[in-house]
Amino acid sequence: MTEEILDASGRAKRRAQRIAFFTFTFMSFFVIAILLVILSFIIIRGIPAISWEFLTEMPKDGMTKGGIFPAIIGTLCLVAGSMLFAFPVGVMSAIYINEYAKSSWVKRFIQMMTNNLAGIPSIVFGLFGMALFVNRFGFGDSILAGSLTLGLLALPVVIRTTEEALKSVDDSFRIASIALGASKWQTTSLVVLPIAFPNIITGLILSIGRVSGETAPILFTVAAYFLPKLPSGIFDQVMALPYHLYVISTSGTDLKASREMAYGTALVLIVIVLIVNLLANWLRKYFGNKVKLH
Amino acid sequence: MNTSFKKFKETLIEGLLMISGTVTSLTVLLIVFFLFSEGIGVFSESPVEAGYSIALNKANTVTALSAEQVKNIYDKKITNWQDAGGKNEAIIAFRMDDIDTYYTEDELGSSFEHLPEKINELIEKNPGIIAFVSDKYKAKEFNGKIITVKNINPKSFLGGEQWFPTAEPAAQLGALPLILGTLWVSFCAIILALPLGLATAIYMAEIANDKVRNVMKPVIELLAGIPSVVYGFFGLVVIVPLIQDVFNLPVGETALSGSIILGIMALPTIITISEDALRTTPKAMKEASLALGATNWQTIYKVIIPYSVSGISAAAILGIGRAVGETMAVLMVTGNASVIPHTILEPVRTIPATIAAELGEAPQGGMHFKALFALGCILFIITLIINLSVEFISAKRK
Amino acid sequence: MNTKITFLTLILASAVFSSCKNEGAKTEETTTAVSITMKGSDTVLPLAQKEAEDFMKANAGSTITVTGGGTGVGISALQDGTTDIAMASRDLKATEKLKLQEAGKDIQSATIAYDALAVVVNPANKVQKLTREQIEGIFTGSIANWKEVGGADEKIIVYSRESSSGTYEFFKEHVMDKKNYASTILSLPATGAIVQSVGQTKGAIAYVGLAYLDVSIKALEVSYDQGKVFVAPSVAAAKDGSYPVSRPLFYFYNKSSEAKVKSFVDYALSDAGQAVVAAIGYVPVK
Repeated sequence: MTEEILDASGRAKRRAQRIAFFTFTFMSFFVIAILLVILSFIIIRGIPAISWEFLTEMPKDGMTKGGIFPAIIGTLCLVAGSMLFAFPVGVMSAIYINEYAKSSWVKRFIQMMTNNLAGIPSIVFGLFGMALFVNRFGFGDSILAGSLTLGLLALPVVIRTTEEALKSVDDSFRIASIALGASKWQTTSLVVLPIAFPNIITGLILSIGRVSGETAPILFTVAAYFLPKLPSGIFDQVMALPYHLYVISTSGTDLKASREMAYGTALVLIVIVLIVNLLANWLRKYFGNKVKLH
Repeated sequence: MNTSFKKFKETLIEGLLMISGTVTSLTVLLIVFFLFSEGIGVFSESPVEAGYSIALNKANTVTALSAEQVKNIYDKKITNWQDAGGKNEAIIAFRMDDIDTYYTEDELGSSFEHLPEKINELIEKNPGIIAFVSDKYKAKEFNGKIITVKNINPKSFLGGEQWFPTAEPAAQLGALPLILGTLWVSFCAIILALPLGLATAIYMAEIANDKVRNVMKPVIELLAGIPSVVYGFFGLVVIVPLIQDVFNLPVGETALSGSIILGIMALPTIITISEDALRTTPKAMKEASLALGATNWQTIYKVIIPYSVSGISAAAILGIGRAVGETMAVLMVTGNASVIPHTILEPVRTIPATIAAELGEAPQGGMHFKALFALGCILFIITLIINLSVEFISAKRK
Repeated sequence: MNTKITFLTLILASAVFSSCKNEGAKTEETTTAVSITMKGSDTVLPLAQKEAEDFMKANAGSTITVTGGGTGVGISALQDGTTDIAMASRDLKATEKLKLQEAGKDIQSATIAYDALAVVVNPANKVQKLTREQIEGIFTGSIANWKEVGGADEKIIVYSRESSSGTYEFFKEHVMDKKNYASTILSLPATGAIVQSVGQTKGAIAYVGLAYLDVSIKALEVSYDQGKVFVAPSVAAAKDGSYPVSRPLFYFYNKSSEAKVKSFVDYALSDAGQAVVAAIGYVPVK
C-alpha cells in the first residue's frame, strides 16, 4: 500500500474514505452517547432517592415519601407468573418447530405466526388481556390476568431464542444419539437440550427484562395505583414498577414532591434491566467458552 | 409392554409439543377474534346514547341527520335548518336540563310528573326545535318526530376528521387524525433514526475492530432493554422542555419530541438487523472490489450496501413497526391533540396513546369502548402489513 | 441447571406461602379488620389514597386497594362485582344506571367532597380574570390569541384532560355551555402533567382541581354574570357557593356490601376524613 502512487484521484478517494469513516465513527459514538446521557441522567438524579427504606417500605404521604416495596414485589410476581407460563410453552413450542415438525410448511407457518405475534403492539395485548382474561374468563384485575397477558407478549422472545439455541446444536449429536438407539424424545431431552440450555436461559433472562418494564399490557389487567400490602394470591392486584413510575410522574396533586420518588423508581427499573443484560452476557460468554471445550 | 409404553410416552410428548407449537398461532387468532368482534360493533351502534332520542317538530322536513350535523347544531355552528337540508327556519337546540327556562317547577310538578307532556308540548309548539330527550320522559302519545342519526360507517370512521368520542348528543368518531398522527410520528422517528442506525451498523460491521464491537453490541442491547415508560419519563423531563426552548415554541409537547424518543427506541432494531444484513455480503464480492483498487469506503457504498439493501429496508420497516405500536412514551410527550398533523412542531395524538388514555374511562360495552377496540384493529392491521412486508422482503432475499 | 432449580423452588415456595396467607386473610375478614377494593376516577385517587393510608394506620389489619383507571372503569367494575367502591367524579350515566339495575345492584352513593375547578394560566401571563363567555370562546377555539382577552399578543395554548375523564365533561357542561372543545386542544392523561405543562408554557391555559394549585401556575378570577363580579377560586368561595365551578365527588357502592364498606365510608365522612379532604385541597362537604 505504501508504494501506491498518490495521484490526484487516489488522494481524493482516500480523503472521501477518511471523511466517510470519520462520520460513521462519530455517529456511532453519538448513539452510544445518547445511551450514556439517558443512563447518567437517571442515575445521577435517582441515586439520592435510593436508600434501604426506599426499597423496603410502603409508600407514604400520598406517595411522595416512603418506599416502593410493594411495586418491586408486584413486578417480581408478574415476572415470575409470566415466565411460569411463557418459558415452558415457549421452549416446548421451539422444540416442536426445530426438532419435531416434519413438513416445512407447518414450520414456516408457526414461525410466521410467531413473528406476527412479536410485532403486535403491547397496547393491543392490553386490550386483548382485558377482553379475554379480565372480562371473558372473569379473572378480574389480577396477577393471573396480568401474568398471562405479559406471558403471551414474552412468548415470541422465548421461542425465537430457544429456536436459535437448538439450531446451534450440531446435527452430529442427534445422529449419534439416534444411532445408539435413543428415541427422539431421549435424544432431545438428554442430548440436545443440555447443550442448548445456556442459550435458552439467556433467552429467558432477556424476556424477563422485557416483561419487567412493560406498562401498556398491565394498565387494564392488573396494576393498582395504591396497594400497600403484599399480594396473598393469584387473584390479587399488585402495584408494578413501570406503572408506578407512570403515575407518580404524571398524576398526584403535587408532582414536584414526588419527583424524587419518580427518579428513584426509574433508577430501580434501569438497574433491573442492567442486571438482566449483564447476566445474559456473562452467561453467554461463560457457557460459550465451556461448550467449545467439549 | 415396555416398548409400547415408551411409544405411548413418545406420542404423548410429541402431542404436547405440538399443542405448545400452536399456542402462538392460536393467540394471534384469538387476538384477531376479540379485537374485531368488539371493534366491528362500533358500526352497529347508534351514535346517540342508548335510552335517548333526538326528536323534531312534525312539520320539519328533515328525516335524518349525521352525527356531525347533530354536533354542529348543538355547538351552534349550524343555526338554520336550511344548512341541514330543511326549510328556512331557525334551529332551537333543546336538552333536558334546559326545561326550566321554558317551564316553572310548579308546572312540571313536584316529582316531574308533568315533564313528559310538557316536552311533548314544547316540541309541538316550536317548528324549529331539535330535542335531545330521555326515553323515560317521552309521553305515551309522542307528537314529535323521532329521527335516526346515521350509524357510523367504515368510511366515516376511517376518513372522519373529528375525534369526540364523548360528545353529546352524538359521538364523533373520526379516526383519521389518529391514524395520520401515528404514521407521522413513526415516519419522522425513522427519518431521524435511520441515518444514525445505518451509520452505526456500517461502523460495527466494517470499520470497528473486534474489541470496540464487543463493547458496543451489549451497549446497544441495553438501549433496547430500557423500558418505554423510562424513555417517556426522560422525554417528559428533558426532551419536551428542550424542544420548547430550542425551537422557541409555544408548546414542547410536539410530534418532534415523540419522534426523537421513538427514534432512540427504534435504533437498536435498525442497528441489529442492518448489521446482520451487511454481514451477509459474500467475502468474495468484497475482496473482488478491493482487488480492483477500490477503497474500503467505495466497497461499502458500491458493493456492500447495494447487496444488503433489502435487509436494510427490512430494518427500517421493523423500526417503523416498533414506533407505531409504542404507547407509554408517546402518551407522555406528544401532547395528544387530535388534529391532522401539518408540521412536526405541533402536538399529535397517536392510536396507542388514545387507547391507553381513554379505555379506562369509557363505559364498558358502549360505543366509545368499541371504537377503541376498532382503533386496536387498525393498529393491528398496520403492524400486520409491516410484518408481512418484512417477511416478503426477506423471503425475496433468500 | 442450578439457576433453573433455584428459580422454580422460589416460585413454588412463594405459591405455597401465598396460599397459606390467603386462608389467613379470609378468616380475619369476619372480625373487625376489613379488606376493601376501590376503583375509579383519577381525580378522586389522591384523596382516596390518603384516606386509605390513614384508615389503615388507624385500623391495623385492614387493607384497602386503590386502583385508578377512570370513573367508567370503576362503575363497570362495580357492576361486575370486582370492586367494592367505585370512585366517581361524575354522577351515573343513564346507560350505567340501566346496566347496574339489570345486574341487580342497588347502588348507594356518598358525596365525600367537592372539587372546585380553577382556570389556570402561566404566572407570566398578565391576564387576571376572564368571563365565562371568554373561557368558552377559548376552549371552543373561537378565541385563539391572548390579545383578544386583554393579554399580550400570544397564541393561546389550551390544555385539557382526556375526553373521557369526568373533569373534562364537567367543565364542558358547566363552563362551556355544553359546546364541544376545539380539536386543537392538547389533552394530557393526568392533571399533574397539565400543571407541569402550564408552568412551562407561556401561552397556556387549562382547568385543574383546586388541589393541584401551586406557585408554578396562576389561577384566574372567573365571572359568571357577564363580567360584573369576578371570584377567585378558593375552598371558602366554593363552600359558600360564590365560586360556581365546583362539583361533587362520589363513592358508589352496592347495598349488599354496605356492612363491609361502611366503616371506611363513615371514616371518609367523619371529621378526620374531611380534614384529609381539606389537606389534599378539595372542598369538604360539611
